[in-house]
Amino acid sequence: MSRHLLGIRHLERSDIEELLALSHEFKRKIQASRNLERYDRKVVGLMFFEDSTRTRVSFEQAAHYLGYRATNFSSAGSSMCKGETLKDTILTLRYERLEALVMRHRSSGAPSLAARYFGGPVINAGDGQHEHPTQALGDALTIIERKGELKGLTVAIVGDVSHSRVARSNAWLLSKMGAEVRFVGPRTLMPSNTSLLPGTVYYDLPSGIENADVVITLRLQRERMTDGLLSSVNEYTRLYQVNRQTLRLAAKDCLVMHPGPLNRGVEMDDLAADSDASAINQQVENGIFVRMASLHWVFEDTPKQPVKPTKKIAVKA
Amino acid sequence: MKTLLKNGRILDPSQELDLIGSLVIENDQIVAYGQEVDERDADEVYDCTGCWITPGLVDPHVHLREPGDEHKETILTGTQAAAAGGYTTICCMPNTTPALDTPSLIDFILDRAASPEAGGVFVAPVGALTVGLKGEQLSDLAALKKAGIVAASDEENPVQNSMIMTRAMETCVQLDLPIMAHCEDASLSNGGAMNEGAMSAMLGLQGMPRSAEEIMVMRNCLLSLHTGCQLHILRVSTWGAVEMIRQAKYLGAPVSCEICPHHFALTEEAVGEFNPHFKTTPPLRTQVDIDILTQALADGTIDCIASDHSPHATYEVQVPFEEAPFGMVGLETVVGVTLTYLTHKNILTPLETARKLSTGPADILRLEAGTLKPGETPVAQVTVIDPSLEWTFDVAKTFSKGKNTPFHGMKFRGKAVLTFCGSEIYRDAQFDAQRYAAVY
Repeated sequence: MSRHLLGIRHLERSDIEELLALSHEFKRKIQASRNLERYDRKVVGLMFFEDSTRTRVSFEQAAHYLGYRATNFSSAGSSMCKGETLKDTILTLRYERLEALVMRHRSSGAPSLAARYFGGPVINAGDGQHEHPTQALGDALTIIERKGELKGLTVAIVGDVSHSRVARSNAWLLSKMGAEVRFVGPRTLMPSNTSLLPGTVYYDLPSGIENADVVITLRLQRERMTDGLLSSVNEYTRLYQVNRQTLRLAAKDCLVMHPGPLNRGVEMDDLAADSDASAINQQVENGIFVRMASLHWVFEDTPKQPVKPTKKIAVKA
Repeated sequence: MKTLLKNGRILDPSQELDLIGSLVIENDQIVAYGQEVDERDADEVYDCTGCWITPGLVDPHVHLREPGDEHKETILTGTQAAAAGGYTTICCMPNTTPALDTPSLIDFILDRAASPEAGGVFVAPVGALTVGLKGEQLSDLAALKKAGIVAASDEENPVQNSMIMTRAMETCVQLDLPIMAHCEDASLSNGGAMNEGAMSAMLGLQGMPRSAEEIMVMRNCLLSLHTGCQLHILRVSTWGAVEMIRQAKYLGAPVSCEICPHHFALTEEAVGEFNPHFKTTPPLRTQVDIDILTQALADGTIDCIASDHSPHATYEVQVPFEEAPFGMVGLETVVGVTLTYLTHKNILTPLETARKLSTGPADILRLEAGTLKPGETPVAQVTVIDPSLEWTFDVAKTFSKGKNTPFHGMKFRGKAVLTFCGSEIYRDAQFDAQRYAAVY
């Protein structure tokens, strides 16, 4: 059994602590331009079935710093266009001797399918509306750097909770580490039943943001307008935008975060996005270190395969 | 050839019969049953002590997939699975490729089902209500009825337009043909993969709200009430739907309904980590639903139990949950699940169990089945069930081509061990070893 990182939901608190400690360690070493000890050269497949800039680049950087090799794979231009099933693609990559898979997929749960057939470790880089664990780890590292610790903080997650994997992963991580999680957003963008999700629901921004130590705003997808879930961007902006005015209700020194890509002027105004309270750029940078930690962590638990002496092939003279 | 089923518990809901006795089948017909039957000159004897002898089971809802989707199931394998599940009569659904909307396709089904290699059960086809199941133009239902359909349905593509459904019902009243309706408001459930609730929210899967089912149940019940069309509601899954049906029956609408074993045995939690074997429509719901559904089975609001046997090829199911097809196989597990979850929990008596599995669906669809009375069925249709047999379901050993089941590896108490449809069509190996004696 390989170790996987399929979601924060599946992790123990001790796993999270270990991952965050590792991330911190890697960050310190990279920033000090210290050479990392040589890790075994691993070959990692990056399977991005959905558009991504920051997550993919971040994993590439992480692999590079670790001395791993990253092989990119996208469904466009691959045998999946020729009708190969996901299972067969995974099996192919397994026997191409890739040692870990990093996977982004539009379908919730696709990485757990991959984990079933791949054999080696699988890291979820965002699946449908389910989880985005490395984003949550990066956000947690950022919050710790700015606030000292997660325990006891009040964190408001604002926006399209219903369709957000970032919201789910963050909520699991923060609640497991002892923070209070609030989901804030309109009824149409909130799951109808949140009893299995770790957070309290607020349907209006002023009460949801009140005394919050951290506000994580979520990206608003344009489809939500055509789906009839929102009447207009203006309506959303008027009711749920995090800006200087609404931030007055939050705790002093409230940290403002966004997983990107940001719709400037929608989820946040310029003042909030560019203020000292904003941690958006720090989130991006920390993404690299938590992805290094994740790659290292999934391999750490994998039992070493005993190296069999290769048979010499007898060649007839 | 004279076969004696000796000393069993004879359960015939068509006559409210529940007694210990024997049953004799001679020349493919039931010739006698009761406490005193002529046991002499039997060629073979089954010791049925502790077993039930019931009318052959009737499944109102089976997908045989032929024509067009033979990679999932064929009439041959599907009928063999039915025989092994204790069934002697099954209704096959019209959502094949092409859909069963022309009489020649009905002829084809009946021919294939009657072939000697098939399982030996009666197949009663259900015709497509609209051409190509598109919900637009009605099929030639008169011609289909003449060809042998027992009901009409658009199955998983239910008619959304209420005016077309009204016209369909009026036509079916005239033809004296029941409509079987899967109830789903597509505008509410589109894109959904499981029950909308706590689990779907946690897994980030789009939900199918219960209202999608209930609105359509209500609409169809009202149209049935106003047109007088006989309506059979397929696979109810929510407490709200059951309450609508209860009300419709109270108002005098000619409405009946069925439930599938997975809807009273499993809840949405079973989806676990995105296991596509638990994906079905309507979706698995919650314990609250199960409590009210089982109560409704006991009080008769739910008339019968159907397998909704929906086989798929393995490669079609080994995909991400959202991309997986709906449905699960069921013919070979209905008896085990029903006895384990209903009868042994004292929700249904043995006689009521036999009614839900045999006489109930036969009466609704006016089939020549569901009774032990000689002469009321074309040939003897008898099923022997060992209610206390404990067994573990192994999908590798099933007759169905489809291996998509939520019940693999589960332990059940109760199994169909012997099936007669005229001649013997299935015999459980263990039962054979212990209870069979040929008399020379």
